[in-house]
Amino acid sequence: MPVYKRRAAMGDLLRYRDLVLALVARDLKVRYRRSAIGFVWTMLQPLLTMGVLMVVFSTAFRFEVPSYPVYALAGILFWNFFAQSVVASMNSLRGNANLLLKVPVPKAIFPLATVLSGVVNLVLALVPLAAIALVTGHRFGPGLWFLPVAIALAALFTLGVGLAVSPLAVFFTDIVEMVGVILTTVMYLTPVFYPLEIVPERYRWLVDLNPLRHVLQVFRDPIVTGHVAPAGELALGVLLAVASFALGARSFARAASRIPFYL
Amino acid sequence: MSPIIRLDGVSLRYRLAKQRAHSLKEYAIHWMKGGLVYEDLWALRDVSFEVGRGESVGVVGRNGAGKSTLLKVLCGVLEPTRGSARLAGRVAPILALGAGFDHELTGLENVYLNALLLGRSRREIAARAGHIVEFSGLGDLIRAPIRSYSAGMIVRLGFAVATAWRADILVLDEVLGVGDAAFVKRCEARLAELRRDGATVVLASHVPDEILANCDRCLWLEAGRIAADGEPRAVLDAYASTRFDGVVSAGVVETASPSSA
Repeated sequence: MPVYKRRAAMGDLLRYRDLVLALVARDLKVRYRRSAIGFVWTMLQPLLTMGVLMVVFSTAFRFEVPSYPVYALAGILFWNFFAQSVVASMNSLRGNANLLLKVPVPKAIFPLATVLSGVVNLVLALVPLAAIALVTGHRFGPGLWFLPVAIALAALFTLGVGLAVSPLAVFFTDIVEMVGVILTTVMYLTPVFYPLEIVPERYRWLVDLNPLRHVLQVFRDPIVTGHVAPAGELALGVLLAVASFALGARSFARAASRIPFYL
Repeated sequence: MSPIIRLDGVSLRYRLAKQRAHSLKEYAIHWMKGGLVYEDLWALRDVSFEVGRGESVGVVGRNGAGKSTLLKVLCGVLEPTRGSARLAGRVAPILALGAGFDHELTGLENVYLNALLLGRSRREIAARAGHIVEFSGLGDLIRAPIRSYSAGMIVRLGFAVATAWRADILVLDEVLGVGDAAFVKRCEARLAELRRDGATVVLASHVPDEILANCDRCLWLEAGRIAADGEPRAVLDAYASTRFDGVVSAGVVETASPSSA
């Protein structure tokens, strides 16, 4: 009996790992334009934002946060990674429309490569973060060793969201702008640059409902407090990352066969 | 022996673009107005056939008859709306030569990119790159960005990559006619070589000589259905007799009135 096999499934992703790496490399090359100034340029925005927030929070609001510059910059880097990855995932299928109609390649490769190149950017951005920590006299604790795991969890969570929304961007062109608006709203519900403590107790539940707040804490605690996030938060972060990925992969698999008809 | 390709009642529907809601806003508006109205275009209607291992099948039919759609289904790019397509082997999809080429990259970089898209690993490609470059006949130009290439050169490189590895099934969509005569000869020689190795070929073309030279069987598609299936000479003659003066639906020849064309 012959083995009848027709289309590339999620399991085939492994066979395409060299392609994923090539796509990531190409993405990074474009972003940094093969020069040092490219990297400085991409770091300019988060650093400027951090500078503005530092002034605002230390003078206007007079809120005492230990190591605020590190706290804010870590938050901004996390948020940029998440938001940029989600938007780029949505564009990744559309941008490769010509290809998806001619070559039977597993479509999930494109959001996957997008999120992975976001991870590389996030890791590179940790260098200026370390420099800011040094300048402001912030001391890292032993929990910093947990950071790679925390980044992996953030990536898994982000990939899940990217997989869930990228087919929608193919079906409806206006989704990209709509997601942009939603992202801005969610950003204010996430303690990216404000400390969680400034949210009044009775509204805290609203912020707690936001899964990103927990994934962010798991990422940021090792950097700022020097400790791995508390067990409860950590468990919640793992659960959210796995659930996001599982749901995203499932909805992507369901939508995948319809994608070529809309490109 | 079991067939290497088996299509059972394959139908494929496109929803026409003007009826489709392009944005969520339009979708919501249509939905509130009392349901979405679709106009369906069935590009393939209940297509069933089998191809035995080592056969070489030509596909003819006028524009819009469903040739490209059929080939996309065979490659797994499109999934049938109804029915099933089963292929028992590795497919080399040659739907468009140079699809996925990045014009800013050099020829050699594109060899890697294209082969990676076909699911090859970096190591496999490195082992075969010399062979690919040699077949393309591009020489030193392989190190130049392909935006400086002519259309024919891109096709040559695309064909060289697409046929670099032994595939069980080769699916070609009107790609041979683009290169110059000498290169078409080389492509046909390569096809013959792959067939001797046991490859099965499905080839869509508008050029009767191409079908006659490369195929031992021919399918004629008309409005998404198989109008004829058989020996290439006979099928091509039947197709040619209706090509200019009539419309054929499911094998029945009707005379077209000028207004219905």
